[in-house]
Amino acid sequence: MSAPAIEFHNVTKVYQRRFSSERVAALTDVSFEVAAGEVCAFLGPNGAGKTTSISILMGFLFADSGDVRVIGYEPGDVRAKEHIGFLPENFAFYKHLTAEELLRLHWALTGKGGPIVDGLITRLLIKVKLQGYEHLKIGKYSRGMIQRLGVAQALLGDPQLLVLDEPTSGLDPAGRKEVLDLLATLKSQGKTVFLSSHVLPEVEQICDRVVIIDRGHLVRAGQLGELLGSGNCVELTVDRLSADGEAIAAARGAAIERGRNQVRLVFDAALKREMAELLWSTGCDIISMNPVKGTLEELFLKLVSDYERVE
Amino acid sequence: MKVRAIALNTFGSLLRNKLIVLFLAGFVCVVLLMMTPMLAAKTIAGTMEAGQAEGMVLGIVSAIMSLVSGFGSLLAGWAAADVVSSEMKSGTILAIMARPVRRWEFLLGKYLGVQLLMVVYVLAMFALSYLLAWMGGEKIHSAAWTLLLYPLVRYAIYSAIATLLVTMMHPVVAFAIILVTSVAASILAPSSATRAILPEWLRAGLYAVLPSTGLLSEARFLAITQSALHSTSWTDHLTAIAYGLDYALVCFLLAAWSFHKRSLSRV
Repeated sequence: MSAPAIEFHNVTKVYQRRFSSERVAALTDVSFEVAAGEVCAFLGPNGAGKTTSISILMGFLFADSGDVRVIGYEPGDVRAKEHIGFLPENFAFYKHLTAEELLRLHWALTGKGGPIVDGLITRLLIKVKLQGYEHLKIGKYSRGMIQRLGVAQALLGDPQLLVLDEPTSGLDPAGRKEVLDLLATLKSQGKTVFLSSHVLPEVEQICDRVVIIDRGHLVRAGQLGELLGSGNCVELTVDRLSADGEAIAAARGAAIERGRNQVRLVFDAALKREMAELLWSTGCDIISMNPVKGTLEELFLKLVSDYERVE
Repeated sequence: MKVRAIALNTFGSLLRNKLIVLFLAGFVCVVLLMMTPMLAAKTIAGTMEAGQAEGMVLGIVSAIMSLVSGFGSLLAGWAAADVVSSEMKSGTILAIMARPVRRWEFLLGKYLGVQLLMVVYVLAMFALSYLLAWMGGEKIHSAAWTLLLYPLVRYAIYSAIATLLVTMMHPVVAFAIILVTSVAASILAPSSATRAILPEWLRAGLYAVLPSTGLLSEARFLAITQSALHSTSWTDHLTAIAYGLDYALVCFLLAAWSFHKRSLSRV
């Protein structure tokens, strides 16, 4: 097994204003790992400590205690940064540059040496749907265009690890889908992606691992499949439901939802055989039976509300 | 390569800065305003002896250039403070520092970008001094390199101090400190009339620590007439320039050290 791409061990960060005794704990004893090749969603409500964590990961801020490793190096180490593509939250670029000039500047900073590979800029701009705007000053870009350009600069230099802070922020639905498709492609290429986002249904489609933090504390971290669980409930769809059948289902705690031509029942997966036989005996036809998985959004809201209640 | 890319980008940003445009507008105004007195000096000089006329015209040129040059020091300090702080404030530094760039490389690129701006300023100043002397009907006899190198070294000092200060504090405070220290250094200079206000040991100590750029003033060469041109030996030149470069280097190294451990969050 390869070494984790990101390691956070017992990281604590406290902000303290100059000339003030006021202290704000941004992160408290946070630990998690992201394996190479995984897409990890880093989730949390506003003010949870996501951007602080990412800033520590990138070497912009320093943890007060704990150990952080990125691709095996300390945060900020140029050997690690050679393999990282980064998109900051609400990022800003030099307005006087064009997209092409900006990408050339970033290419020079990658330290790969020599002139930029022919066609690389064009390919990147096509990838983020900015072709035709390469000679327009960034100051004249819309928010969505800047975000797309940010994604393009993060992809420059073919990084192994992409750290993306709100990559779909400011994008319209079509733009969000394009970015998610792009991330799915990167995942298929074996890249590691660490992204924070508030658009959970979309993130759920591509991520392997989830790390949830709230108020600077780790709430849950793990594989998405494990966290969501599978097969805890089943959804049984029948063509009709008699009064007897409804009584049987209700007695076994099933949730019943009547549609125009069918009835949907959701109940504990352990009862699926018994329920199917009992309902069959009441004379209804079974149309389908499927396991029901929770959504990431439901899980997130539940974990965060549970955590806040405990706090 | 990385430092050069940052320096050129910084230079490009500075050339589009509104305050720089204001400085350049001021520069043009100085030329226009000084045309009348310089032409008047030329007329008066016709009634004087040659040496007297030359001294008068070059004295006026020197006074004007002292003013322009003083503005240059402020520009160097302000630009150096602004190029770092504006990156932090806008957040553009995050995308740059996510690249395999060391912090000192970033700071050096920013510093060199400011020096490029000051090269342009010094060249313009150099041209202005010759233009003013020509309008007064005289020639500047000083070696061109003194008029180019001395102000550059002086600006290198001020921008290095600003770079150091802005790694620790708000740019406005940094700029204010530069103003105060430059004024204090001129007050404490051995040639200053106000030097008696402090005990000699304190004055000498402060003078050694503060950026004492009196010796690096190119104006003293502008005022020199042809007959007095050889009064400065090469060792004096070397000492003055070495002092300036050393001061700038120490300030920059301190800035790099201070910047190494500071947060790069938006301020």
